[in-house]
Amino acid sequence: MNPRHRRLTGVISAALALAVSLSACGSTAGDDGDDAGASGGSISVAVTDPIQTIPGRQTVAYDLNMAVWSPLTWVDTDGELSYVAAESIESDDATTWTVTLRDGWTFHDGTPVTAQSYVDSWNAVAYGPDAFENSGQLAGIAGYDDLNPAKGEPKTTEMSGLEVTGDLTFTVTLDGPDGQFPMQVSQAQTALYPMPASALEDMDAYNTHPVGNGPFAVVGDYVENEPIETEAYADYQGTAPTVDAISFVPYADATTAYTDVQAGNIDVASVPAARLPQAAADFGDRLHTFEAAGISYLGLPLWDERYQDVRVRQAISMAIDRETIDKVVYGGLYTPATAFTPAVEAGTPEGICGTFCEYDPAAAKALLDSAGGFDGTIDIYYPGGSGLDELYKAIANQLRQNLGVEAVATPSSDWAEFSETRTNGDIDGPFFSRWGALYPSQQNTLRSFFVEGGGCPNCIPYYEDDVADLIAAADAESDPAASAEAYAAVQERILEDFPAPPLFFETYSYVTSERVAELPTSAVGNPTFTAVVLAEGA
Amino acid sequence: MTRRVTRRLVDLLVVFLGVTLIIYLMVFALPGDPIAALGGDRPLAPNVVAELRERYHLDEPVLQQYLRYLGGLLQGDLGTTFQGQSVADRMALRWPVTITLALTAWGIEVVLGVLLGLVAGLRAGAVSDRLILAGTVVATSIPVFVLAVSAQLWLGVELAWFPVAGTGEGWPTAYLLPAAVIAVFGLASVARLMRGSVVDTLRTDFVRTLRAKGLRERQVVGVHVLRSSAIPVLTFLAIDLGYLLGGTVVVEGVFNLPGVGQLLFQAIRAHEGPTIVGVSTALILVFLLTNLLVDLLASVLDPRIRHE
Repeated sequence: MNPRHRRLTGVISAALALAVSLSACGSTAGDDGDDAGASGGSISVAVTDPIQTIPGRQTVAYDLNMAVWSPLTWVDTDGELSYVAAESIESDDATTWTVTLRDGWTFHDGTPVTAQSYVDSWNAVAYGPDAFENSGQLAGIAGYDDLNPAKGEPKTTEMSGLEVTGDLTFTVTLDGPDGQFPMQVSQAQTALYPMPASALEDMDAYNTHPVGNGPFAVVGDYVENEPIETEAYADYQGTAPTVDAISFVPYADATTAYTDVQAGNIDVASVPAARLPQAAADFGDRLHTFEAAGISYLGLPLWDERYQDVRVRQAISMAIDRETIDKVVYGGLYTPATAFTPAVEAGTPEGICGTFCEYDPAAAKALLDSAGGFDGTIDIYYPGGSGLDELYKAIANQLRQNLGVEAVATPSSDWAEFSETRTNGDIDGPFFSRWGALYPSQQNTLRSFFVEGGGCPNCIPYYEDDVADLIAAADAESDPAASAEAYAAVQERILEDFPAPPLFFETYSYVTSERVAELPTSAVGNPTFTAVVLAEGA
Repeated sequence: MTRRVTRRLVDLLVVFLGVTLIIYLMVFALPGDPIAALGGDRPLAPNVVAELRERYHLDEPVLQQYLRYLGGLLQGDLGTTFQGQSVADRMALRWPVTITLALTAWGIEVVLGVLLGLVAGLRAGAVSDRLILAGTVVATSIPVFVLAVSAQLWLGVELAWFPVAGTGEGWPTAYLLPAAVIAVFGLASVARLMRGSVVDTLRTDFVRTLRAKGLRERQVVGVHVLRSSAIPVLTFLAIDLGYLLGGTVVVEGVFNLPGVGQLLFQAIRAHEGPTIVGVSTALILVFLLTNLLVDLLASVLDPRIRHE
């Protein structure tokens, strides 16, 4: 053989050999989720890779957190509050709350869960210089501001509002009366979960190996891009979970996860926006849609004089055919909004929006004409790359057809650009606006939208002192019926000014493999994986 | 040869500095505050945002940020993400996936592309040639995304021959389908290039001489024609390997393969300067190195270049 020829084949075969050897190190040893399932009672769940697993820091690991930790309280789909890690949470004046913990609970490392664990954890999460992403959930506790001074380092590491009064009791003093406090320590407010003493010493190690007080313990360490394996914690003192193990498998693309459920390789995935219209056809009764504490609005630029007249805002609302959009864009899985807070939040006065939330193009046009018409173009602005294009194009089309005003929908390049533009108020048309409440109370939604600095800056740029006062008055009520009535009064007041058209009560949709028989949920709208029922023989 | 390599390496340094600066400036110019967007549509508390901006030096002028980045780089520190992870660690996690995927795809291109091209070239004008040509036209005209999703639905979900997503089943099972999807485009180009090259080589004097000397056809084709035709194809293949190693955002996304393409995509969405610069710089280095390799290989194969 010609020596030069040998050289060529040598190069190619060396390259191929390299390919083989490199790929050998790239692959993980045969550990696929679905084999484990057959052995008994385990499920696999598609998640976004969390990066941060610590409750005070995570922003996309709710499912993992709710399996590995137990909250003080729990709100079920009917809005009923029950106690989990807490035995009771009581107050005489709604300002100072006494939390009594259940006895005998331990973290997965065996150390007892005490009042001190809670107080230390909350102080750590609130400590300003550590900049924990979820620290805002503790902002109502007296002394939070001392840990987050406007300038310089805080002079203390403890919030004055927290006091340990016994092994299992501590008191929480709030900045003002707040009857919703027991709701605020419910399942999705993860910043209020307890952490063991070891966590406070080394948060990085804790992020790699989270240790909670919940029904499932993390097995091994969290490694980016690798499934997080959890197994039922033998010493768990709460309601025993229905499955033995949960595997949280990271997917970069929700559509891929959806496809993988179709193939039966993974048990549960949330439905991405692009798949909502076809999910029912693809999955039949394996599509699960849960009412969520989320609501979307069409935010209006109240700083623009063309939107000053309330009739213009009402006309825009009445020109939107929510039912049709729901069918086309969301596969009929959402609910047209009829109030200013999601229906799942206790006491929401459904229907309060009345005719203003109902589609009536003729009345809308008449209302707009009586307000003197509209000058120029309605330029809708929304975050690009978030699967919202169809929704806002549909709204623009309807406004154009029904109001006879030119309307277009323009996306931003990404979320960061949108969020900055909205926060700065640099928009001259309607815009994307939504809020998903982490605790299902009207308080959370109303405060986020209608109180300045309440959480969703400029989502609805309508900050009236009397609205804020009414919300504060409602907050002060601790009796559920009285507070529901007081929050309804807030909505009556908002309706007068109709600052932005409510669009949809949101739902969260999930699809499951044939191994899953029942997928229960709670008031926050994500699956309660600890109570999943597997199909027979699965 | 040494001079050529040295000159290339100096080029490399200049390109490196220029590219890192340009990318840094571009990331900085992106509208929107990445820290404020960190929490998605549930914004972080203002005090948290302020603290994080300070921690990641986003409150400094861009040149100061860039110099800080270069300074860290000199000490082997590629920086951290806005969630506090080391960029070097994240890249180290993802390179094996992309390299595996790229080399698998490349292997498919080499073997199938060269083979198809050879067959078509030897039978120029015959039915098999036309079929192969038509096939390559179709292959290059299907968008990668369409091909990836269709292959996934058909071969992954319907027939269940391949896993739908993830690297869980390891090489080769988990990588074959995505690699094949990526390889289709390059494969078609390789086949066409090879075909043309073979047709040209068959017409050369030296092949005629070899045949006249009575050399067996298998040897003429297998040794002489193959090698002479391989030079242009090899150049293409080497450059293509550079592209493949750049990671393919679409295919990595569809098949949930956590490679560098995906990392870059996520980093751009999150406006994470250090990650974007780190990944793109690595990609540029890979590209420059594969180009250097092409030059060297070409001179090994082609005496005319070597003795220039």
